[in-house]
Amino acid sequence: MLKVEHVKKKFVKVDKKKKKQEFWADNDITFEAYEGEIIGILGPNGAGKTTLLRIIAGILNPTEGEITFDGLHYETDEIKIKKNFAYLSGNTKIYQTLSAYELLLMCAEFYGVDSSIIKEKIKKISTYLNMDSFLHQKIGNLSTGQTQRVNIARCLIHDPKYYILDEATSGLDIISSQIILDFIKKEKENGKTILYSTHYMEEAENICDKVLLIHHGEVIKRGTPHDILESTNTSNLRDAFFKLIEEME
Amino acid sequence: MMKTSLWYVLKKEIREMFRDKKSLSMMLIIPLMIPSLVIGMSYLFEMQMHKPIEAYNKIGFAYSLSDPEKEILANMNINYIEKSFHELEIDYNNELVDLYVSLDGNVYTIHGNESETTTFASRLVESYFDVYKEYLQQEYLASVNVNPQDVTNIIELKNEVQKQEIYFANYVTNYAFLFIIMAITVSATYPATDVTAGEKERGTLETLLTFPIKSRDIILGKFLSVTFSSFITGLVSLLLMIISLLIAGNMYSIYEGQNLMLSASSFLFSFLVIVLYSFLISGFCIAIASKSKTFKEAQSALTPLNFICFFPGMIAFMINIRATALLSLIPFLNYTLLYTDVLNGVVDYFNIFLMICSTILIILFVLVIIIKQYKSEQVLF
Repeated sequence: MLKVEHVKKKFVKVDKKKKKQEFWADNDITFEAYEGEIIGILGPNGAGKTTLLRIIAGILNPTEGEITFDGLHYETDEIKIKKNFAYLSGNTKIYQTLSAYELLLMCAEFYGVDSSIIKEKIKKISTYLNMDSFLHQKIGNLSTGQTQRVNIARCLIHDPKYYILDEATSGLDIISSQIILDFIKKEKENGKTILYSTHYMEEAENICDKVLLIHHGEVIKRGTPHDILESTNTSNLRDAFFKLIEEME
Repeated sequence: MMKTSLWYVLKKEIREMFRDKKSLSMMLIIPLMIPSLVIGMSYLFEMQMHKPIEAYNKIGFAYSLSDPEKEILANMNINYIEKSFHELEIDYNNELVDLYVSLDGNVYTIHGNESETTTFASRLVESYFDVYKEYLQQEYLASVNVNPQDVTNIIELKNEVQKQEIYFANYVTNYAFLFIIMAITVSATYPATDVTAGEKERGTLETLLTFPIKSRDIILGKFLSVTFSSFITGLVSLLLMIISLLIAGNMYSIYEGQNLMLSASSFLFSFLVIVLYSFLISGFCIAIASKSKTFKEAQSALTPLNFICFFPGMIAFMINIRATALLSLIPFLNYTLLYTDVLNGVVDYFNIFLMICSTILIILFVLVIIIKQYKSEQVLF
C-alpha cells in the first residue's frame, strides 16, 4: 500500500526585482492507494500534480509530510522503494542514442533484474508491445508512438508493483494515448497500483477507481468518479471541477 | 549493489560518450594539434638559427676601408659597400644594404632600424669588429715587441652555458606538455557539460533519478566517465608528443646531437600528471556544469577554466620560475614547474609528493561538493 500523509512542498520563486517569494506547490495532501487501484490526480496545469508525483517518486523531497510504500520510508529504504515502482512522465525523455534493446538492457541492470532472464524478458515485452520491428533501432529514429511503447517497455522490465504516471498521454495523438491507456488497464488487471495524473478529465473518468481533484496545491474533492459526480450534481468531472472552484470562490 | 550501480552508470555514460561524435572528436582530434605545434615551433627555430648569411651580409661603410679590413670582411663572407653616409642612408631605406657603419675619430657607430634582418646583420658586424679589434691589438703588441700569445691567453675561459640547441629542445618539449594540459581540459569540458547540463536539458536526468541508484553513484559514474575521456586524450597527446619530438629531432638540424626522446623519469612524471590532472579537471568541470541549467550556460561557465588551466603554467615557464615546496601545492602551476625540473634531470621527490597530495585533496573536496549537489533536488532545476 502507498500512503501519502500530509505532504507539503514549498518553493521559493525569485521575481523580476530579485525578491524572493515563497509559495506552496502542494499543501497538506493525504491519500492511500491499494493493490489493483488506479488513483487519478486531476487538476489544471500548475495545480501541483507533477510536484506531488515527483515527491512520491523520490525526485523531490517534501517540505513536510511522509510517503511510505508498504511501510518503507525514503530516508531508510530509498533503493528498495525505487525498485518497486516505475515512473513515466510526459516531460521525461529517454536516451536517444541507445536502441530500444540497449535501453531495456540498461534499465534491467539498474533495477537488478536477474541477468539470466533479462534477454528472455526483453523478448517477451517486445512481443507483448509489438516492438520487434524496431527493437534494435536507435530511439532517436523512432516515431512518437514507437517511443512511447519503448517507454512503457522500460516500465515493465522490472515488473514493478506501483506505476507513477505523470501526464503520460499529454501531447500524444489518439493512437499513442490509447497505447498508454490500454497498458494502464492491463496492469490494473494484474493487480498493480497506478497513480495517474492528467488534466484530461474525461480520460480519468473512464479508467480511475478514485480521483483527487487538486487546485492550487490543495485537494478540493476526493472519491470515486461516480461519488464526485453525484455529490456535485454534475454529469462529468470537468463540470464538477468548475462547480467546486466556483463554490470555493 | 552500490558498486554495481556505479559500474552501470559508468558503462552508460561511456557508451553515450563514444556514440556522440562531438565528444569523440574532442577526445581524439585535439591531441592531433600537438604534432603541428612541435613541428611548427621547431621549423621557426630552425629558420631563426639558420638564416642564410646572404640574407643579411650587405654592409655599408661610410669611410674608406683598409686592406686588412677588407681581407677580414672577405674572410667573414661580408659583402661590403663603401659610400658616403648620406648615400648609405638612402641605400638602407631602399633595402640595398642591411646595415651601415660610420666612423667619427676613434668611434665606430652601427646604424639601422629594428628588424629581424638588421638584428642578424648587427650580430655579424659586431663579430667583425671583435676580429678586427683583435687584429689591431696583435699588431700593436707585435710593434712593442710583446708576444701577442702571452697577452691574449692570459686567462682561460670555459663556457658551460646551456647550448641554444638544448634550450630549443626544452622549450618545445615544455610547450608540448602545456598543450597536453590544455587538451585534457578541453576534452573534459565537453563531456562534463553533456553528462550534467546536457542530460538535464534533454530531460533524461529526471528518468535517471527515478532508478534505484544512489545519487552518489550517479554523479561518481559521470565523474569517472569524464575522467576516462580526459585520460584517453592525455595519453593520446603524450604518445603524439613523443612521436612528433622524434620526427622533429630527425627533421631539423637545431636538434643535431640532441636526444629529444623523453627520459624514463620525464615519461613517468608526464603519465602521473595526466592521471592526476584528468581527475582534477573532470571534478572541476562537473562541479561547474552541474550548476548550469542548459548546455550553453554550462559551456559559458566553463570557458574561463580553459584559460586558468593554461596561463599560470605558461607564465611560470616564460619568466623561468623554479619549483618550490609552496609552489608545488598550487594546482595548474605545479605540474609545469615540476615537469621543467624533471626534464632538466632534477627529480625532487618531496615536491612531487606535495603535488600529489595537494591534487588528491582538491579532488576529494570537489567530489564532496558534487555529491552534495546531486543529493539536492536543485540539480533538476
